Amino acid sequence: METKQFVMIGIAIALAIAVAAPFLASGNPDGLESAFFSIYDAKHFTGSELDEEAAAAAEEQAIAATGNDFSYEALMPDYTIPGLDKTGEVLAIVLGTVLMLALVYGVARVAARPDN
Amino acid sequence: MHIPDFMFPVAQGLVYWVIALIFIVLALRWARHSMGEEKVPLVAVLAAGIFAIQALNIPIPWGTSGHMVGAALAAIVLGSPFAGVFVLTLVLLVQGVIFGDGGIIAMGANIINMGVIGGFVGYYGYVAIMGVTKNSYAAAFIAGWASLFLSAILCAVELAIAGTFPLVLGLTFMGGYHAVIGLIEGGITAVALYLIASARPDILEHPRAVST
Repeated sequence: METKQFVMIGIAIALAIAVAAPFLASGNPDGLESAFFSIYDAKHFTGSELDEEAAAAAEEQAIAATGNDFSYEALMPDYTIPGLDKTGEVLAIVLGTVLMLALVYGVARVAARPDN
Repeated sequence: MHIPDFMFPVAQGLVYWVIALIFIVLALRWARHSMGEEKVPLVAVLAAGIFAIQALNIPIPWGTSGHMVGAALAAIVLGSPFAGVFVLTLVLLVQGVIFGDGGIIAMGANIINMGVIGGFVGYYGYVAIMGVTKNSYAAAFIAGWASLFLSAILCAVELAIAGTFPLVLGLTFMGGYHAVIGLIEGGITAVALYLIASARPDILEHPRAVST
């Protein structure tokens, strides 16, 4: 397979995953969040019920413990575009994937070993 | 496993940033010496694919989900743990800055946990297991699993130092969930390696090490 074809197929696979992800992805907390909620009694380790109130209180408790209340407003928070539901999620992840492609291509091009 | 800012004191986060920057400089040196220009499109596609698949949270039991990290895959395919650091640093940068996934102050820790541990455990785990089993896909699966599991263990230790998690409970819960999530990492690492090796065995840094 030629490099060009290989890269094109790779981009197609990445974009296909990006478009499908909002429909397929699980909304459950990830491993770190689950461990955090379990430790702060918002969830049982093996249970699937999340106590939303206890979860919010857990974050307050952690902020009190670490003293870190730094907050940063991301452009597309949690892979969403405010105001656009599912379409926004698809768009956000597709834009992120295209941005990754361009950014890494640029950085890698500058950082790479020159061939001649 | 993206640590948000509130879980660390600022000073602790900055210490991890300093350590992460050392590995970033080493990763740039690796690129200058070992990443040929012909590899650039491959690295870009790999990073884009890793970003996309990280958005795909797969449910696991216990009301939890997990997703692939991808540092082990990048390190195995490009033949250096620093490839994992290089790719994951850029993925985590975009996730944190554009999508608020993982903190800004905590980004150094996330780069260490997922990029450095993921890359080093993934690469050296793969090489070591290859030496014993001679089966590249079994090696990729186990190395992928171990890379994710050990990232989670280090993450638990960092959060214990931060005072956010008690040590033993943190290790137990992080270890428990990520022992399962590691199966996702190992599985996708092995499948992706198979697909890449089938399509273009020549682009792998050690093509003979992969049995197609």
